[in-house]
Amino acid sequence: MLFIIEDTLNGILMGAIYGLAALGLTVIFGVLKVINFAHGSLLMVGMYVAYWAVLLTGVHPYLSLIVVVPVMFVFGYLLQDILIKPIFKSEKEVREPITVIIVTTGVWYILDNLALLIFGPQYRNIQDNPLRGKMLEIGEMMVSVPKLWGFFTALATALLIYLFLQKTRMGRAVRATSLDRDAASLQGINQYRIYNIAFGLGTAVAGVAGVTLVPFYNIFPTVGVLFDIKCFIIVVLGGLGSIGGALLGGMIIGVIESVGPQFMTATWTEAIVYALFLAFLFLKPSGLFGVKYDW
Amino acid sequence: MLPSRARKLPLVLVALAAFGLPLVVTSATYLHILILLFLYAYLTTSWNLVGGFAGVLPLGHAAFVGIGAYTSTILSLQYGVSPWIGMFAGALIAAVVGVIIGLPTFKMRGAYFALATIAFAEGIRVMFENIDHLGPFQINGPRGLQIPPLKTGLVHFMFADKEPYYYIILVMLAAVLALTWAISRSKLGFYLVAGGEEPEAAQALGVNVARAKLAAMAMSSFLTALAGTFWAQFTLYIHPKSVMSLDISFEIAFIALIGGRGSIAGPVLGALLLRPVSDFSRIYFGDTLPGLHLIIFGVVLVLVMLFQPRGLQEPLTRFYQQAMRRLSGGREAAP
Repeated sequence: MLFIIEDTLNGILMGAIYGLAALGLTVIFGVLKVINFAHGSLLMVGMYVAYWAVLLTGVHPYLSLIVVVPVMFVFGYLLQDILIKPIFKSEKEVREPITVIIVTTGVWYILDNLALLIFGPQYRNIQDNPLRGKMLEIGEMMVSVPKLWGFFTALATALLIYLFLQKTRMGRAVRATSLDRDAASLQGINQYRIYNIAFGLGTAVAGVAGVTLVPFYNIFPTVGVLFDIKCFIIVVLGGLGSIGGALLGGMIIGVIESVGPQFMTATWTEAIVYALFLAFLFLKPSGLFGVKYDW
Repeated sequence: MLPSRARKLPLVLVALAAFGLPLVVTSATYLHILILLFLYAYLTTSWNLVGGFAGVLPLGHAAFVGIGAYTSTILSLQYGVSPWIGMFAGALIAAVVGVIIGLPTFKMRGAYFALATIAFAEGIRVMFENIDHLGPFQINGPRGLQIPPLKTGLVHFMFADKEPYYYIILVMLAAVLALTWAISRSKLGFYLVAGGEEPEAAQALGVNVARAKLAAMAMSSFLTALAGTFWAQFTLYIHPKSVMSLDISFEIAFIALIGGRGSIAGPVLGALLLRPVSDFSRIYFGDTLPGLHLIIFGVVLVLVMLFQPRGLQEPLTRFYQQAMRRLSGGREAAP
């Protein structure tokens, strides 16, 4: 019995990190109403930035946030400004231009293969960092310390985004645009700038998720694909655009992945996750906390 | 519009050239590249039925390739059924599966359909990688299935040379192009385009959009599975990564989108332009610059979407029509 509790606990911790990755996707969707297919690749970029920052300076992995967050924000901001904004402008009447999905898919392939070209296919990890392999003993249970850090980072990030959206003037503009872009424009909000900011924010969150993974996860060019599909599943599970839903959806996936192998081959849990996703798509596409309007 | 003779003549010339090509191209490597080119042109044209005309974005067509490949291979290895029969068995299964996916997802917004197809295709791939037996059928998990090249000949869909494969895929491509052409001029074709562009308006006019899309999906998955059998018989070795990987799904979609979805010439044009890029960059830069062709694909895709969202066929068709008009002496009135 104990090991199930232990697995559940570790699953929740890892799941919160998945949720953190999906949080960026949900923020972008909430405002732009499009799914950013390149999200996993942005996470991968964040991981590489963090990796090199830690490797070159030798600081604590979490200190790399100082570099990763602004770099990723600017990266996302420019990506939306240069590649996605023109589509929104030319397809004004379409609420959810399919072209955006296609362009972000193109970006996914460009980024993944650029990483392969520049860094090679090898798995990298930071061997000597203060978090690697650390375990916390609670009674007879072992809890991974780097995942614990990731868990609290996920909660903190979610809280910060929530506060930003609720308490700041800019956050209010973002929410207004997300509710009704035309009405927001009429109030003098520059909707395209809001899109840039939302995309930058989502990308920065993907970067934060990358930082939480760096202490214990392998870094390789296609690492994003693993998270890409997981993030899609999580946001649909939790409800597209919902911050709490992303975290909860992430934890559900995390627990399935971590407890499942006690009862079956580990790879089967992956199939279960896909089945759960399809079941949600078919039965309750708005997810746990989604708005019906958004699907 | 051009006079019908001026439109038919180039088509006949292209067809003749395609049939005569193996007489000139004797190198096995180049023939192989040509076969893959036609295979992808075929796959993208099949994809286009639902991805182009129906206005949704399926990103999991590799699943149907895999279903086709595995069905015919299992039937021929374990039961001695000719791959030609297995080919259609697989295609029927794929069509049913396609309808099952489409049934709940076509009602949703575009992104959900794309996500559902990805999840579905990946789910099937993971299943095949984990299963050794499915009931009485041997699947062999990640090791896949090897087809021993024992009996060659048309009946066994197995040949020692590449030429027969070339002609088979060429005929398949011609057939699927003719089918697409027929559909694009049929009621179904109009329903699809109407439903893809203005679903509410089409619905209001009494068009059953969902049913038209389902029909397109069934045909598209049926045709895609046929190519899966071809692939299996051509390579004689299939495993989940080789016939069901996400990369295949994406390459099909990319080629169609770059060439121009929703047009007949677009997917073929896309394959003509992009397949050589992928083959030659793999041959020449495969070791030094891995993934180069995917970067090129991605960049071209993004540029095309930004500047020519209806694909490259549009400017090329315009150019071609102008050239033809000039050739015919400018007697044609302006369109």
